[in-house]
Amino acid sequence: MTWLTWRQYRAQAAVAALVLAVFATVVLVTGFQMAAQWHTLLAGCTASRTCASLQEGGTSLGSVLGHDFAILSMLAPALFGALVGAPLVAHEFEARTSDFAWAQSITRTHWLAVKVGWVLLAAAVWGGAIATLVTWWSGPRNAAFANVFQANYFDQQGLVPVAYSVFATALGIAAGAVLRRTLPAIAIVIGGFIGMRLWISQDLRMHFMAPVTTFYGVAANFNAPAGSAVLSGGLADKTGQVVTGSSGNVMTVWIDGAPSTSLPAACQQLIPASAGGPAGPSNATLNAVYGCLQKAGYRQFLSYQPISRWWAFQGIEAGIYLAVAAALIAITFYAVRRRDA
Amino acid sequence: MSWVVWRQYRAAAAITAALLAAFAALIVVTGVQAASQWRSSLAACTASRTCGSLSSSTLFLGSHAIGFLVIMTLGVPAVLGILAGAPLLAHEFETGTNQYAWTQSVTRRRWLAVKAGWLLLAAAAIGGIVAALVTWWSGPNNALQANAFNPGRFDIMGIVPVGYAVFATALGITAGALMRRTLPAIAVTLAGFIAVRAVIFIELRRSFMTAVTSYFPVGSGFAPVGSAWQLGAGFVGANGQPLILPPSTNGAVIGGAAGGIGLPVSSLPAACQQLAGNGRLTRATYHAVVSCAQAHGIRGYVTYQPAWRYWAFQGIETGIFLLLAAALVVVAFAVVSRRDA
Repeated sequence: MTWLTWRQYRAQAAVAALVLAVFATVVLVTGFQMAAQWHTLLAGCTASRTCASLQEGGTSLGSVLGHDFAILSMLAPALFGALVGAPLVAHEFEARTSDFAWAQSITRTHWLAVKVGWVLLAAAVWGGAIATLVTWWSGPRNAAFANVFQANYFDQQGLVPVAYSVFATALGIAAGAVLRRTLPAIAIVIGGFIGMRLWISQDLRMHFMAPVTTFYGVAANFNAPAGSAVLSGGLADKTGQVVTGSSGNVMTVWIDGAPSTSLPAACQQLIPASAGGPAGPSNATLNAVYGCLQKAGYRQFLSYQPISRWWAFQGIEAGIYLAVAAALIAITFYAVRRRDA
Repeated sequence: MSWVVWRQYRAAAAITAALLAAFAALIVVTGVQAASQWRSSLAACTASRTCGSLSSSTLFLGSHAIGFLVIMTLGVPAVLGILAGAPLLAHEFETGTNQYAWTQSVTRRRWLAVKAGWLLLAAAAIGGIVAALVTWWSGPNNALQANAFNPGRFDIMGIVPVGYAVFATALGITAGALMRRTLPAIAVTLAGFIAVRAVIFIELRRSFMTAVTSYFPVGSGFAPVGSAWQLGAGFVGANGQPLILPPSTNGAVIGGAAGGIGLPVSSLPAACQQLAGNGRLTRATYHAVVSCAQAHGIRGYVTYQPAWRYWAFQGIETGIFLLLAAALVVVAFAVVSRRDA
């Protein structure tokens, strides 16, 4: 069976290897350029002791081409799922080659297990090779911009691309086994992969673990460790209730991110009407308001996922996708075993 | 023949119509909300005469989720090419149904003309409906952020999505005619579409028409009117050659209005640097340094495509993609006419 699987997939394997080689060439060439640029910048700022202001200096790192390839790498799992996963069972059913295979001396379960096993392994290697290249390429950018926890950067690096790739392929296999036709299965892969990815990255990811919330004084400054993902922040009253208010009017005076109209009346009185507009209130006004808010028990807060949890989040997200992939494979086995020959 | 085409595609047409209806419902509901929010903000800022300071940092229109969905419409043409264009001929060849069709009373050319004609028309209609919804939805955001000409925004609004949809579908049809198998045709369609779009949008679009360069004195600023597409900004010396600015700026800076780029004092002639002294510029030394830079003939520049060229660019880009599509359809006709039955 392994030999048969290799014969069925050797052309695809050659094409995939070629695509990977092109991708690796672009990533390596632009990556070495960017690493050299980064070393020069670091050496320069270490000499002048200005490395702290590097992030705000509008440093542009890396080429547009390399960056575009890193973004394109997010499509790689869907590509594998649509072009390799979806036809795996569906095309056998369409071409009726499954009938021939099933009339031989091996069971359907064996036939399916070997095909699915090798293809899922190939999907993991595909996702892993691309993720390794992109993770290496992003090193200087991660250090300079500290944005590796943000959506899109989190999704290109580390462990999760491997799980995305396995999931997309399992989705294609299962959709093909249930629908028995290749094109609808491809459509399911595109829609299902994008839908699942968006749902988890936009709605669920930041709630994998309870965020860390730090309270600090109304006049103080607090920054989460560099690279952490900030969920929310602002002003909270004595009871811990978040102070909010409607925005939209540019004349509103903002105190610690809350509109002055939602502050206690005693503190609002301290703000003159002239404080509105783009220039903002004077320092004297601000200090008076801060004192008033402090007396009323107000604090600022910041909720964030610290950067130290990055690998834990990668592990959780990869685990979710692998669990869903396992469920999809179980559905595939059920559908194939139940099918009339 | 038209009846055959309808029978072949009625299921796909029903699914497409359902997806379009769902998309339209989301866009219309959130679009009406964003428009009313925009009108009330405009009314408020007109009353207080602060519309000049209205920007995307103080006002957020619409929802993040729908904003994502709108950006994802970039992928609609590729999906049309993959799921409708590529199988049009390839699937007939794979299953041998073309042989049945070609032994009836219609000629191959008529068979292909009707099939390809209806499909390209449907692709244009779907691309046009999605683009019309997105264009309408983006109205307030375009007015607020003045970014309709920027890469990424330009590509999902106006008439270019129609050109992309027709091109991707024609690419799929021709790839299917040449390769005679659906899956390789899908892979070629996806790769070809991304490659052609990338080349035109990264390399060619900026030079459809000669860019305008405006010069302004050091110390003041210049911003092109309306939704212009800024291609570059910087400073030139007396000889007209651009000054080379360091990649990150840590020292004192003058100006700063040229597309956000300031002119570091360290890039000025030595005579002007002496006037600046060490450390921060005071009001007096700032003016001295600015006059010195002006006396040395240093000017700022902004290179851009003016906002009024937006529709010309839309027309040129749509024309390019429609011409490419026409060439591809000619190739498909040649291949089908010459193919052995």
